[in-house]
Amino acid sequence: MIRRAIDKKKSLMIGVLSILVLMGFYSLVSHWQHQKNPDDSTIPTWTQLGQGVQKIIEVNPRSDERWIVVDSKATMSRLFLGLFFGVAGAVVIGLLMGCFTPFEAFLAPPMSLLAKVPPTAALAVFFVLAGTDTRMYVAMISFGVLPTLAQSIYLAVKEVPDETLYKAYTLGASQTELIWNIILRHIMPKMLDAVRLQIGPAMVYLIAAEMVVGDVGFGYRIRLQSRLLNMNVVYPYLAVLAAFGFFMDVLLRRTQHIFFRWYTHGKR
Amino acid sequence: MAKDKHQAFKEDIVLECRNLNHWFGPKRVLFNINLKIIRGEIVSLVGPSGCGKSTLLRAIVGTHPPCEGDVMIKPRDSDTARVVTRPGRDRGIVYQQYTLFPFLTARENVAVGLMLDQTSLPFRLFRFQSWRTMKKKHLDEADALLNTLKLGESVNQYPHEMSGGMRQRVAIAQALIMKPSVLLLDEPFGALDEATREELQKMLLTLYGENTRARNEDRTPPYTILIVTHELNEAIYVGDRVVALSQHWDHKDLGLSGHPGATVVYDCMSPVFRPSEAPDFELFRKQREMLRAVAFEARHITDPNEHVQFWQEYDAREGWAGNL
Amino acid sequence: MTRISLFRFFVFAALVLILPARTVVCEETKTPSFSLAWSEYPSWSTFGVADEVKLIDGEKGKMGPIEKKWNVDIVLKEADYDSCLVMYGASQCDAVCITNMDVLNPCLSRPSMAILPTSTSHGADACLVTEDITDVKQLKMMKVYGLAKTVSEYCFVRNLEILGEKEKDYRFTNMDPSAAALAMQQKKDGFDAIVVWNPYVLETLTKRKDVKVLFDSTSIPGEIIDMVAMSKASLDMPGGQAFACAIIDTFYALVRRMDDPKTADDTLVALGEKFSNLSLASMKEVVKQTQFYKQPDQGITVLTSQNTQDTMKKVVSFCVAHDIVSQPPTLSYGNAEPQKPVMLSFNPMFIEKVKNTP
Repeated sequence: MIRRAIDKKKSLMIGVLSILVLMGFYSLVSHWQHQKNPDDSTIPTWTQLGQGVQKIIEVNPRSDERWIVVDSKATMSRLFLGLFFGVAGAVVIGLLMGCFTPFEAFLAPPMSLLAKVPPTAALAVFFVLAGTDTRMYVAMISFGVLPTLAQSIYLAVKEVPDETLYKAYTLGASQTELIWNIILRHIMPKMLDAVRLQIGPAMVYLIAAEMVVGDVGFGYRIRLQSRLLNMNVVYPYLAVLAAFGFFMDVLLRRTQHIFFRWYTHGKR
Repeated sequence: MAKDKHQAFKEDIVLECRNLNHWFGPKRVLFNINLKIIRGEIVSLVGPSGCGKSTLLRAIVGTHPPCEGDVMIKPRDSDTARVVTRPGRDRGIVYQQYTLFPFLTARENVAVGLMLDQTSLPFRLFRFQSWRTMKKKHLDEADALLNTLKLGESVNQYPHEMSGGMRQRVAIAQALIMKPSVLLLDEPFGALDEATREELQKMLLTLYGENTRARNEDRTPPYTILIVTHELNEAIYVGDRVVALSQHWDHKDLGLSGHPGATVVYDCMSPVFRPSEAPDFELFRKQREMLRAVAFEARHITDPNEHVQFWQEYDAREGWAGNL
Repeated sequence: MTRISLFRFFVFAALVLILPARTVVCEETKTPSFSLAWSEYPSWSTFGVADEVKLIDGEKGKMGPIEKKWNVDIVLKEADYDSCLVMYGASQCDAVCITNMDVLNPCLSRPSMAILPTSTSHGADACLVTEDITDVKQLKMMKVYGLAKTVSEYCFVRNLEILGEKEKDYRFTNMDPSAAALAMQQKKDGFDAIVVWNPYVLETLTKRKDVKVLFDSTSIPGEIIDMVAMSKASLDMPGGQAFACAIIDTFYALVRRMDDPKTADDTLVALGEKFSNLSLASMKEVVKQTQFYKQPDQGITVLTSQNTQDTMKKVVSFCVAHDIVSQPPTLSYGNAEPQKPVMLSFNPMFIEKVKNTP
């Protein structure tokens, strides 16, 4: 029957099974490739992958640093700084657009246009605006996520029922209080959703930029190591990225669940 | 009650609509609305759909000021009325939906008005300790009010966890805690089932009872309510005065080109009952028939003022209609 | 050498890796079919142009005159340079256009033969600096941008060696050449020295008059070699050797068109079309800086000379020192294949065969 419920244990088992199938499929592809060429390094065997992981986590004799540590530090600080500014800017712009019609008229067209532009394609612009160091990555991520995020926030603000706002006025709210105590709290969970959905694009922008400009970071390492055909280093890096994305997703969902019970439950 | 006292009450006008006109582009909606509400009255506002009840209510709330004319409100702490230009804390409102803030629990919803009214944002942000003490006081006050409305069990529930009837009751508490000059109810029970609706109607009658008690004890009656409803029975049952708006009136004598919009075509006292008392269905029926004939049937009445008799009725009456 | 950088690389790589690979024999004609992966670069675009002028037909199952002559189907796979490397490493093509430095890595897992040297960098890789930098020692103060672990870094390090400088005193910082050139053209702070290749060298010099070449690959003649490498396993398959010959034949046929006054300019423009938006005059400069090995004899010399052997020693030690290869590959030169199989042989036998076939 369609949509028949199954118990939690079963569903967990099926989930694990799907991962196993994926891993099995990989083993198979790797096996094929190694049958054709025993020295292949493009679809590494699990042993090769193990060596790759070791290379990633052990201290590199040349630089005296661990790759995973330096790359994570660089990439994560860029990502979080970028997201921070992007979200902060989007909140301000989204609120202005949602609350005040002149801002809405002024900002809505450029926002919907900019939301369609992949910032990685405008590398030259970011060079001019923000140089080539951390500021550039931060600017690229911020500008990359800002328009979409601002639009989501703007729509969320628009969705706050008029009645709710009028009600707040009759309770003696000032304009600032209305924005701070009512609208902001009203849109908070939706904002978390929007941010959650923008982490993926933000990572894509960052990795792509690091591939071109970086001398440290995930994008740099992945591009360099693929060129050197060290896929046993590349794939674990991709796995770390995937795990990070997954972790962020879970974290934000949990946050929403704990702090915005009224939203997650009320939606049902 | 003494006649002079009865007359004196008449002077305490809380809310007044003066020559209020409203239109949307070429479409005229409200024509020359004049309405005075005495402190302590529970006024029902009825009328056929599309007659502009909501428009009038919005003008009174202040979210959409009228095109012409004024809404005057007398704040609780003042003897002089002022013109309404925007929503303010002297008019409480309960809508059919979206009245409660979904992100606050019942007690927080009730306390939020006290917070917004008595503290400022900088105060709350920078004087955290004082604010904490104060907040506790507010929440206690909210709990007390919710207890009297038999909601003591649900103080920590979020709106989505409550039934429709509970939500509306909390919404009324949320508005009442502000002690507004007038409480505006916009189809407040429209989305509720019959039983819950009756329960809430009875709750309004309790408020009416408190007004009467206050008058008898020479205090100012605490609740002035304007309730907009499409239910005639409800209007007559909970109100001590029923006002009807209608666009079905004869405007030929005015020499206007188009229809000037709805105006007040009915304004009379209505029988009031104790919450425990069974309604007198005969009285009910009469008034309902009259309302239906005057305001709801497309038969144009010639003189819109013919059934606006509240003030004469008031003067003719010895005591307060609800002097039970 | 990443000649053109593209982000599509990963999508492409993923596709290449997932699709099951095999060298396909044409069903109908039973003509063996082999593939060549190439990217836009002056001496490699020859294969693309050869396809355009119908000397060969790069589509599978279709044959041009040269393919008919050798009775082998050439399948052309164009991709950006990084993708070509991955494609070759993953056995998704039989031959690849590659440099003598980058081939060292894939040949560790896929024994290869350098069948045809196509050109050498003679100024196509250069260190560009702003006017105020007159001495290489000034570079110690700053970051030098270029793509790490490529011929750019090799060119930089070799030149430092020649100038008697120590590599560790300098900071070669990774950045894609297109981005580094862009930053320099925009006069961004800190971008006073970059090591890039063509077309970025010429482009930057044209767009910024106050930028000059501090040193370039002319000081290391013949050390950066562009060539075609082919998998030995593919060579051993029926038709594999004919494919090698057809590739070589195609290259020289196109070179003849470049030298024929009637077709020279047109061919040159065709070669440069996708490489960069440089003018015909600039393209002539490009071809000067990317010296073609136009004669079979030149090619044979490159694959056999002591000079090349010395060069490869330097390149290998550079690659080992810079972690580009995990171990030095075994190499051989000349047309006699050694008894013990080696990972990369420089073998002129197919050039000779083409040269001797009318």
